[in-house]
Amino acid sequence: MSSSFRNFLITRLLLTIPMILILVSLVFFVMRVLPGDPIRSQLGPRVSEEQADKIRERLGLNEPIMVQYVTYLKDIVTFNFGNALTQGERPIRDELGERLPATLELSIPAMIFTSVFGIGLGAYASKYRKKPVDYGIRLFSIFIYSIPIFFLGLIFQIIFGVRLNWLPLSGRMDSMILTTFNSITNFYVLDSILTGNWPAFWSAISHLIMPTITLGLALTGTFIRLTRINMIEMLRTDFIAAGRARGIPEKTLVYTHALRNTLIPILTLIGLQMAILIAGAVLTETTFSWPGIGRYLVERISLRDYTAVQSTIAVFAFFVGIISLIMDLMNALVDPRIRY
Amino acid sequence: MSKNKLQKIFVFVLLAGLLLVACQPAAAPAEEAAPAEEAAPAEEVAPAEEAAAEAPAGPVWTKELRQAFAAAIDREAIVDRVFEGRNTPAYHMVPPGYPYATEPFLDKYGTRDLDLAKQLLTDAGYTADNPFVFDLWYPPEHYGTTTADVMQVIKEQVEETGLAKVNLQSMNWAEYVDGFVAGDLPLFILGWFPDFVDPDTWLTPFASCIQSPDNGVNYCNEEMDSLLQAAAAATDETERASLYKQVGEFYAEDIPTIPLFWEPEFITFRNGVEGITIGAPFEFNYHVLSFADGYVTASGDPDTIIIGTTDEVNSLDANDSYSTHDWEIIKNTGLALMSYTPGTADLVPGAAADFPVVSDEGKTYTFTLKPGQVFADGTPLTASAYVYAWDRFNTLEGQVSGLVQVYVESVEAPDDLTVVYHLKNPIGFFSALAATAPFVAVNPNEFPADAIVQFPEKLDGIGRYKMVSHVPGEQMVLEANDLYAGNDPAIIKTVIIKYFADPTTMANAVEKGEIDVAWRTLGPVESTRLQSVEGLTVQKIDAPTLRYLVFNHTYGMTAE
Repeated sequence: MSSSFRNFLITRLLLTIPMILILVSLVFFVMRVLPGDPIRSQLGPRVSEEQADKIRERLGLNEPIMVQYVTYLKDIVTFNFGNALTQGERPIRDELGERLPATLELSIPAMIFTSVFGIGLGAYASKYRKKPVDYGIRLFSIFIYSIPIFFLGLIFQIIFGVRLNWLPLSGRMDSMILTTFNSITNFYVLDSILTGNWPAFWSAISHLIMPTITLGLALTGTFIRLTRINMIEMLRTDFIAAGRARGIPEKTLVYTHALRNTLIPILTLIGLQMAILIAGAVLTETTFSWPGIGRYLVERISLRDYTAVQSTIAVFAFFVGIISLIMDLMNALVDPRIRY
Repeated sequence: MSKNKLQKIFVFVLLAGLLLVACQPAAAPAEEAAPAEEAAPAEEVAPAEEAAAEAPAGPVWTKELRQAFAAAIDREAIVDRVFEGRNTPAYHMVPPGYPYATEPFLDKYGTRDLDLAKQLLTDAGYTADNPFVFDLWYPPEHYGTTTADVMQVIKEQVEETGLAKVNLQSMNWAEYVDGFVAGDLPLFILGWFPDFVDPDTWLTPFASCIQSPDNGVNYCNEEMDSLLQAAAAATDETERASLYKQVGEFYAEDIPTIPLFWEPEFITFRNGVEGITIGAPFEFNYHVLSFADGYVTASGDPDTIIIGTTDEVNSLDANDSYSTHDWEIIKNTGLALMSYTPGTADLVPGAAADFPVVSDEGKTYTFTLKPGQVFADGTPLTASAYVYAWDRFNTLEGQVSGLVQVYVESVEAPDDLTVVYHLKNPIGFFSALAATAPFVAVNPNEFPADAIVQFPEKLDGIGRYKMVSHVPGEQMVLEANDLYAGNDPAIIKTVIIKYFADPTTMANAVEKGEIDVAWRTLGPVESTRLQSVEGLTVQKIDAPTLRYLVFNHTYGMTAE
């Protein structure tokens, strides 16, 4: 590892710490300033004010705000996020342990799908610029970009779930298989492989297909357009003309030389979209009753569940920090100019 | 200064600014709904934009104004315009079909009496040029998106008098609850779902001096209090019927709140599922469900039923739980002291062998347990389990504790089969209260004395089913309890509760046959669509879910 790359790595790692700290602190104070209270939001007027006060005391909400803040920071540093304030007051670590794998199991294949499909179509369109196929792909990218994600999910459910009966409608696994399924990591696909439970494996895969394609397709439009425009620029460069003059086949020029050089902005976009996917899969998770972290966060914000929201956002911040770090490092590896 | 430093300073200032903005206290709704300018009558409440500094000296909602609104509102028009006739107009706080239910608002105001409304407003000094102006609040999403439509119809109906102007105001549920509990909202909509099957649960929370502030009503009237206490204490049915009739008439006269309509629930099931009977107590008993011969179940197993719901589990600890779905699970895996015949409001003994023996002064209820009852893990049930539950209410202060503590003074178990409840005041409905989930004995092996266990791994109660697994947000599995000692054991051996995030997906699932039953909450849009799907039955349940308007009776009074 060169010294310049090492310095770059250390600087980026150190910058991630204050980024997470500022974000979680902001969330802590903003949540408490927002009107509304976790007890009343959940129970409404069903409990008396005296009863509500007793519950607040039990949950530590009567402590001074700075005491709560210090406790919160300690919890975050030790990865012991405490208990949620609503919906059963479960340990947040348990809840995130169930929800985060579900979201990652959905987001990662969706990202792979959208990258392969979007980049592939974008490159293909650039090769046939101003030909009918190019217009078709551009039209498709605008259409898929503008269609609401839950509507797309609903259409898929009706066509492939209800009418054609090809795929299951919702959930992560068939109910009967789930009754005996032994989950180890809460990544159901991985767990079914680890335990050699092949019916569970196929059930998990079949449940993944529709939500993955829905989520992936929704992001494909952006990738198609970005790849296409960058590829068009790249195909005009001198080194491609030189390659063409030397008789390198067009296919090799487009998919090997030009596409590789177009990857830097696309890699950045993948990083950004991955971060959005983890937090923003809420509509897909709702439509397909996927018990993921995006849905969890939205529910808990409306209930003013301070600890659950803070901890979930801290985990988001951590993931976004890691993903952006990885993307920066990849870019620095691909293009040495970045690290100088 | 270098460009880099300038950038850092800019970022720091931006973050500090954001934090400061976030820390600004939100404007209280009371400031928005400020009192009117001097020229207006003393009771007038100004619209939000006409905020003024002075607070009015007396309460805004005089009896005449309340009556004017009760007369101006046409519930049937609301039900027809917004709900296409699906909902039921509410002419009392007590639902039709409940014991002692009457329709006092219909008797006093008819379906609508616009002339009376105009007369009352005119008598109060309002004219077309000087109308009564006030804010009407609602939460835009908590009770469904139709709430905004309901409020618009009410606005139009009240403004049709020509003597009132309504400013519709909304805010999200979390702020809304804070606002009305703090007494900041003058008039607002709320929903109510009963705790137990008795008129008291519909009247005392809104009309008693002690409880009405918790619901933002702030109503207090000695005559009403006396009537409510006498009705609650009475044990003779004829006397109770007479007293609750008087309460109803007084309610329609003095109007602590205005009942609007009852919202139905819909249950959709595949043809071949039998035994679905949901009556006035709104209990879904799984043990009476069965399959018709030749029916192909959603699971493929003839002894397993899959029931879909959009509800979530909040707490399965009977000494803490306070939500409809949790109570459904607790009562299917447990057995309260008293119970209901499925599909009816007929009270029958549950874990108790018979109806309780009530002392002469009505303050002591003695239950004798059925002998030989055991929890699903084999632990015997003794009367001490009810003392244990009482201690847990008091030491753990779970969400539902108040529902028991408000009535019960102490609990004792003189022997293994006898439970004695000593009440703070005589109440005639204690048997109905004893049919609620807090009166289901918890298994001491799963629910320790010093901690609430909202998500137990198993639920081994004394009921017809036991919970064997629960994956939050995905599914729960109940299996028939082989050690259940009572009558009518479960017909279907395994019940899977499948959790959905979206009612449309649940509707698709029952249509496709992924689930056998789609239960709460399948909205009217989905239910209407499913009615035309072959192979499905959609049943409308007259649920005791009320929407009502709340007058904040102390709104406008100068704080002491």
